[in-house]
Formats: sequence, structure tokens, C-alpha cells
Amino acid sequence: MSTLKHKGKGPQAMTANELVSGLSVWMTTDLNWSRDYADALLTEDETLIEKMDEIAKAAEQANTVVGAYFIDTVDAKPARYRERFRTHGPSYDTADLISES
Amino acid sequence: MYRYDEFDAEFVHSRVAQFRDQVVRRLDGRLSEAEFRPLRLMNGLYLQLHAYMLRVAVPYGTLRSDQLRMLAHLADKYDKGYGHVTTRQNMQFNWPVLSDVPEMLTDLASVDMHAIQTSGNCIRNVTCDPYAGAAADEIEDPRPMAELIRQWSMLHPEFAFLPRKFKIAVTASSQDRAMIKGHDIGIQVLRNEAGEVGYHIIVGGGLGRTPVIGQTLRAFLPKDDLLPYLEATMRVYNRFGRRDNKYKARIKILVRETGIEDFTRLVEDEFAALDPSDIAVGAAERARIATYFASPTFETGIKPLDMESQPEAFRKWVDTNVVAHAAPGYAIVNISLKDPERAPGDVTTEQMRAVADLADAHSFGELRFTHQQNMVLAHVRQDALRAVWDGLVAADLEDANINLIGDIICCPGMDFCALATARSIPVAQAIAERFDDHDRQQAIGEMQIKISGCINACGHHHVGHIGILGLEKAGVEFYQVTLGGDATQTAAIGDKMGAGFSQEELVDGIERIVDFYVGAREHDERFLDTYRRLGTEAFKEVLYASA
Repeated sequence: MSTLKHKGKGPQAMTANELVSGLSVWMTTDLNWSRDYADALLTEDETLIEKMDEIAKAAEQANTVVGAYFIDTVDAKPARYRERFRTHGPSYDTADLISES
Repeated sequence: MYRYDEFDAEFVHSRVAQFRDQVVRRLDGRLSEAEFRPLRLMNGLYLQLHAYMLRVAVPYGTLRSDQLRMLAHLADKYDKGYGHVTTRQNMQFNWPVLSDVPEMLTDLASVDMHAIQTSGNCIRNVTCDPYAGAAADEIEDPRPMAELIRQWSMLHPEFAFLPRKFKIAVTASSQDRAMIKGHDIGIQVLRNEAGEVGYHIIVGGGLGRTPVIGQTLRAFLPKDDLLPYLEATMRVYNRFGRRDNKYKARIKILVRETGIEDFTRLVEDEFAALDPSDIAVGAAERARIATYFASPTFETGIKPLDMESQPEAFRKWVDTNVVAHAAPGYAIVNISLKDPERAPGDVTTEQMRAVADLADAHSFGELRFTHQQNMVLAHVRQDALRAVWDGLVAADLEDANINLIGDIICCPGMDFCALATARSIPVAQAIAERFDDHDRQQAIGEMQIKISGCINACGHHHVGHIGILGLEKAGVEFYQVTLGGDATQTAAIGDKMGAGFSQEELVDGIERIVDFYVGAREHDERFLDTYRRLGTEAFKEVLYASA
């Protein structure tokens, strides 16, 4: 979880990991989940943020996702380096070399 | 090699059945994540930065060829076609799916393997000299002792919830290849003045955010006393180790705060109060375990290869990757997993199967993972070295860089790890690429670069001749350098140099250090020797000189 450095200022996005695959997901504009950060809902609307929180908790209860938390964003990107990194996956994976060969 | 008896097998299979049920209950919601998390961790399953990660135990780094094939099977069927050899001689898979993990554990159990105690605040996998049973300089094979500790520590009811994780390493050589002074407990098999074989017990070493070199707890411990003495030590730690602060909970902090004299007295008092007959293991049981590790039948009269007629690349590989064996006519073969284009320690399933085949054909069906993230065929006939090399070339595993600058230890870093603050794999690749020329590596000589992507130091940077620590500030990765670390019997924590570098600056700085060393060394001085002779300032000046 990256909540320790979460400031809660500016546009917020909700992220989690899928329970079964463990892959990173972000809450979308239609309040579902996507593995693509480009689909993420970024908002400063407090009412909407409250709703996102409720839906994330419900998704955890429904065992769809685990470890849901808000992240700060700046210029439509996650503010923290770690969170930016999560949006694009490893910069190196031996699996890519295997699939190329 | 140790083979499970019926109790081991029944236990592991019942544990798999338990976890299968736990996963079902997690998926249908009967277990919450808070309830499930400690259960999955007890079975080696982490949730990392991008996905789950399963860490499979390889006790003392030794495995059979069929076990390596099983790891390849897991990687092919449930993961992405490769595994990662860790600095605890285990194997990690980076992309398993939760619902597949019970099947993975079932498959592992079919070859006497599991993922138990590869996580959590328990006694972790015991690590060992990768040349055990083959090294010319060892007193005896340390693996029977490591196996005894495994049996004692597995699900030990007193030590399942320690203040923090606990790591033990063992060796039977004066040349320390297991980093015993960098562990919570390090054990060296040795002889006393009377010629009796016993144990030198070292305590309170460790890396992480507070690196400490271990100190002698008992200079010579009779064999019969091993388990009672370890039990006494663990009891003292369990009782007095700090549970209020995760960062001060390792035994190294307790030893430091208590002082080694007082800590030793506490252990000796506890040891004196124990009834050794409760847990002491006598010579007969030790001998029974040792039979599983009996040396293979070595043939005699083996003629060495005529090296003059061999290709240059093979000769270079022999010079670098092959070391002397205790038995005449045999050799220990190190297989480098340090292809500059790959992550250090990564090995594909095709390569795993190739090594398993080579182990069957040339090393009695057995192999090792090393804490330096390589593999070892421990018992190869010298006249089979060319055949082994040919097999390695075919599998793209012929890198001749063991203990050279290209043989870099590296944690997964931010590319995979949830704790990391910076990437480490691209740094290792950039350094390996800069020094890719074999002749240059050979000319530089023994060099251990170790890279960690955060202060938890899984890449052992504190004990690297050149240590690199990846950090991040305001969204930018930077790398701090330590010099003069040593993971061997002359163990030392590296000296911090100062302000960090970008990756590009770092590689240039390392090259300046290396070039300076090559120019300044006297005779056959290793980098470490030159560093110790000239001191920190000389190297620091070079490191921070503008290019």
C-alpha cells in the first residue's frame, strides 16, 4: 500500500490489484476497473471521491480486488514515482525476450 | 541428496491441501484479505508491485535434476517461461495467478519441494556453500547439518512468530562462500586443537538498513550440542528481541544493544538450563542424515583434457568458471546466469532443462543454486568439461564471468518488488554492457558488484566490493555507492562514498574507479586489496571526478 505518502490533494485516482491475477487496476470513469491507467477516473469532486471509496470497499468485499487505495495525480499522471511505475509495468522482463525469440 | 521420508511427504501434502482450501475460501469470500495474507505468506506467496510472486524453497541451494525440471514445468505452465534465482538460493516466479498456486504447490510436492518458510517471521531457508561436498578445502559436507537445522526449524512451534525473520547460513570451509558473517546466525564447521569436528557459531550479522558483521557466540561447539544451543539462542532472541519496532527487531539489534558478552551469557545460561536430551541429535541420527549426502562414487584414472587443442573460448570459460574439486579428475563447474542482456539470476525453462540434462549426464543428477544467483554442477569429470561447455553454449549459458565484474548480484528492484525505491536490473545491465569484453573483465580480476533497489539490501550491496543502492527523490532514481565491502571470511561493510548519481553518471563513475584500480594495483592485488591499501579518499576523489 502506498497510503503513507498520499496527500489527498489535487485530482485523485483509485487503484488496487485484482484478487485472482494480482495485476494492477484503476477505477474507470464508469466506476468499473481497468488494467489500463489511461482509462482511470481522475477527479477532485469530493462527492465522486466518496462514491469511489464506497465502490472500492464494495469491490474488496466482493473479492474482486484487494488493497484498494487513492493516489494523488499531477498532470494526469500519478504523483509518486512508484505509482507511475505501476502504470506501465516492469521496464525489463525476461518474458519479453522469450516472446521475441 | 536428502529425500523426504513419509513424515515429510505427508506434512507437505497436507499443507498443500490446507492452502488449497484457504485459496477456495479466499476466492469465495469466506476469508478476508486480512485473514488470508498471513496464510499465503506462510506458503511463499507475495503480492508484489505488479502481480503475485511465488518463492519456492531450495534447501541449502541443492536440488535434483528432476526438481529443476519441475521448476521449469511450473514456469511454463503457470508463469512466463522463466524463473529467478535469489540471493537465498531459492527460485521466484514473478507472474503466478492466485487460483493456480495450489496446483503449483501440488506439482512441487510431487518432487519433494514446497514454498514453506520462504516468508514471514520464522527461520527461513538455510543457505550453504554451493561447493558443499565437492570443495577441496572443506572439513566435511555441511549439508547434513543444514538439513538437521531444516528439520528442527520447520514449523517449530516456539519460533513460528519471531520478532522478525531469521536467516542461517552454513559452511565447512575457511574460505567463506556462504556469507556466514552476514546472517542472523552463521555456522562454520571446523576442527578444534584436539582434532574434533564441531561448529563455530556466529551471531548478529545482517544487512538491510542496519548492516552489521556477525560476532562469535561460541568459538567451538561440540556437534551434539548444535540444536540445544541454537534453541537457546532462539529463545533469548524470541524473549528479548524487540517487537515494538520492525526496524529494530532483528537479532543484530538485540546483540548490539545487549553487547556480545551479555548476549552470550544469556544464551549460555539458557543453554545450561535446557535438557539436551529433549532435542539433541546424536551421532547415529547425524550419520543417518549424512547418508543422504554421501559422496557419489568418483572414478579414478581420469585424464585431464588437452587444453591446447581446445578453442580459446572454452579455455577462457575453464579459467573463469571451473574450480578445483576434492576428488582427483573432477571439477566444479559454475554456470553463470549473468548474461548482460538478462536480469541477473533469471533462467529460462529451456535453459533449466538443458542444465538438468547436463546434471544427469555429467554431475550425478544434482545441481546447486548459489547466493550469487548462479548455478553449479558440483561433480564433473574433467574429461567431460568440453561436453558440458558445448551443452551450455547450445543453451546460451556459456558466459565466462564468475567472480568477475560481469557477475553482478542484483535484487529485482522496482521492476518487480513492492518495497523497492528504484530499479536495479537496468543498472546491472548497463554495467555488464560497459564491461562486456571478456579480456577486460579478466584483466580487472576478482570483482563483486552488488546492487539493491532499496535499503532492505536484498542485493547485498553493503558487502559488494562496489555496492550500489538505488533510491528515489522527487520522481528521479539515483544511486549511492559504497566501496570496500566484503562478503567472505574477511567480511566488511562497504564505506559510503557520498552523494548519489544518475544511472549514466554511475556507470561512468564505476569505470573511473575500475580504471584507477587497474593503474594503481601492485602485482596481483585484488580490487579490495588496493582499496584497503590506498584508502577511501583516493577512490572517492576518482569516483567524483568529472568525466
